[in-house]
Amino acid sequence: MPKKAKETFGSEKDMKKETKKVANRTEKEANSLAKKATARKTTSKKNNKTAVKASAASSLKKKKEASSKKAKATSKVAKKTTASRKSVKKIVDVPEHYDLPYHYNQTIVKILAQTPKTLFVYWDVSENDRLNYEKQYGNDFFNNTVPFLRVKNETYGYSFDVDVDDFANGWYIHVEDPKSNYSVELHRKQRQFVAKVIDAPVYITSSNNIETPNDHILFDSMSDTIYFRNIKTNQISNKNITNIYLLRNTGKIYNIYNLYKEMYKSENVNSIFDLNNPSSGNHTSTFK
Amino acid sequence: MEQIKGYVSFILHAHLPFIHHPESENYLEEQWLYEAISETYIPLLLSFKKLEEEKVDFRITMSLTPPLLSMLDNKLLQKRYIKYLKKHIELSKKEIERTKYDNRLNELAHYYFNRYSNDLYVFKDVYNCNIIQGFKHFQDIGVLEIITCGATHGYFPILYVTEQTVKAQIAVGVQTYERYFGKKPRGIWLPECGYVPEADKYLKEFGIEYIITESHGILYADPTPIYGTFAPIVSPEGIVAFGRDIETSRQVWSSINGYPGDYNYREFYRDIGYEADYDYIKPYIAHNGVRVHTGLKYYRITSKNDNKDYYNVRWAMDSAEKQAGHFLDCRVKQIDSLSSCMGTPPIVVCPYDAELYGHWWYEGPYWLYILFKKIYYDKCNFKLITPGEYIDKFPNIQISTPCRSSWGAKGYSEVWLNSSNDYAHRHIHKAGNRMVKLANLFPSEGNTLRRKALNQCARELLLAQSSDWLFIITNGTMVDYAKKRIKEHIGRFTKLYFQIINNNIDKDFVKSLYEKDKIFDDINYEIYK
Repeated sequence: MPKKAKETFGSEKDMKKETKKVANRTEKEANSLAKKATARKTTSKKNNKTAVKASAASSLKKKKEASSKKAKATSKVAKKTTASRKSVKKIVDVPEHYDLPYHYNQTIVKILAQTPKTLFVYWDVSENDRLNYEKQYGNDFFNNTVPFLRVKNETYGYSFDVDVDDFANGWYIHVEDPKSNYSVELHRKQRQFVAKVIDAPVYITSSNNIETPNDHILFDSMSDTIYFRNIKTNQISNKNITNIYLLRNTGKIYNIYNLYKEMYKSENVNSIFDLNNPSSGNHTSTFK
Repeated sequence: MEQIKGYVSFILHAHLPFIHHPESENYLEEQWLYEAISETYIPLLLSFKKLEEEKVDFRITMSLTPPLLSMLDNKLLQKRYIKYLKKHIELSKKEIERTKYDNRLNELAHYYFNRYSNDLYVFKDVYNCNIIQGFKHFQDIGVLEIITCGATHGYFPILYVTEQTVKAQIAVGVQTYERYFGKKPRGIWLPECGYVPEADKYLKEFGIEYIITESHGILYADPTPIYGTFAPIVSPEGIVAFGRDIETSRQVWSSINGYPGDYNYREFYRDIGYEADYDYIKPYIAHNGVRVHTGLKYYRITSKNDNKDYYNVRWAMDSAEKQAGHFLDCRVKQIDSLSSCMGTPPIVVCPYDAELYGHWWYEGPYWLYILFKKIYYDKCNFKLITPGEYIDKFPNIQISTPCRSSWGAKGYSEVWLNSSNDYAHRHIHKAGNRMVKLANLFPSEGNTLRRKALNQCARELLLAQSSDWLFIITNGTMVDYAKKRIKEHIGRFTKLYFQIINNNIDKDFVKSLYEKDKIFDDINYEIYK
């Protein structure tokens, strides 16, 4: 059984056909699917189905014609309109219309870190692999089995399983340990109350490895010695923090938390460490 | 003169996504550039010029991103900006007539007329339609340090699953910088301050010395930096990271009690585009008749309720001057307290979106001008410095790996990866992998047409990767446009990809894409190998 399907260079037409087929199938299936309240499921279907409304440009073509007629009233503006038309003519007009494919006919599982404690996983199984599994385990393989993700924390050496859904192609997973290496495996297991097609879970494929971000000051792992590099000479030197602590007799520099406490005497230091950065949460950050 | 105990470093990140529609003049999104030139870039240049003339020794760092540089250098967009200005001059002339009944309003109409007329003069006659040279001048005289950014502002913490795509973002960012400024950049603004240690080796490879991270990029670093954000750290790969100071970002940035909320400042949301008689304003709003901002705003913030008083330029300047004084006093105290407990002079790093200054906070460029003057003339225990100068002066830096982080809401990747935009990543990753495949299948293509197609594939991929589309989708404004851009660039890439693979490249298609997505003229797809 192939661990990962090889990507084939199909023509775009083939790809579209395939996409349409899968999309139709998924649409039917999705209609009969009750909403799942428990899992934070994501499907790209919704987004793919969202018809991207004609942009301001296309919906405004008529308006533009009308306004350019009006513009002729003043020679200055009329001149400009002509100039812009000239520049339009230069472009070879190749009609374009695109849709994002529902899938790429590949067997894949990818993992990304959304936050220190949330992973995002997306996956797909190629048509070839589907056929191969059906050949090996019977035509009901996909009907009578369900997918699950085995989340492996390689830093602390444990794993756990998360049941997912055939109608989803992405999932958010809560993890307990930040600053850890994670990978995910996609498996399928026997569905209950249907004819048995497999005795044990079937491994499909593995993800990339990632490290989740850290979410706290690493006081616990601080050693007494820290290292400095002179970036001009590349010379490494070290400093004993305990000595500095004694020398300065303040303790301020040993502990960032205390340092901020010292600086922001009148404020709640915890709120300073609330890293809800206003930049992106605040509309004032960009034009968008 | 007071003893210098520390340093303050202002870093303005100037970025807009690449928006270029030669096929139509009706894209409202194209106006972002014109608004930014008039409200932020020209005012900043004029403030710098004034400081230069007044012989004020100041320092500032700016990232001018490759998409922004490409747009500023684009002849079509330059022409359209002039048209934009002429329209605004025409409108403010009409406003001078219309507002004759009220002296205060009339003064403001004159103010806008003068301002837009001056923009036209500065843009056309002083800078010959290309303001990049304006920024370059200040870099050349040593007061401005310009740094680069990822090619199209691609967000590294999500792209890095295909590392070559991060490498290409860095390579093209550096290459674009060199084209415009004739030397290598010392620093890079990581798009959205998105840091992953995996990018360090590529930053090193392309000669980058330093990056800027969000505060916790430093505070949560490993091992813990003993001086917090008040000294840079150096990663094991040799990349120096400066962390954003928490206090200064709150003072300037906070939408609740930040400086831009002063009652005397111009109210952004009251614009004649929404308030003037419809038939009168129609020629100056969107082509489809939708009311939009025109830039002519007559009110000040006044209070938290809807009753607004007229804007008074002098009062606004008074507030800016007061706040500059407040900022200066706070830094003096901060530096004083820090320097007593640090081994090296502290650096307070103040990074902001450049467009905050002038576009959102209309008086921001003036505030900066006054602040720099005060720092120079007043008794002060600190100096302005650029990150590059700081590491030249204090090269002994604690070794530590910054924390994976961003400056987005909540500090990680939620803005660019959530249920509204997660559908996009599989397509962007897939296109990235295909690009790597293409580069390896055609390692040094000699056929001109195929080479052009390969280079265009690289452009389409880079444009699809822009973090802006994901941000816009999350933010919920102009969502259709952002989705359209992702779909178009992925669609164009994929179509070309199959044409290359199947050896049936449509010359006209390649040519039309080159005209539409006219960015990175000298790109070489081989960077994806």
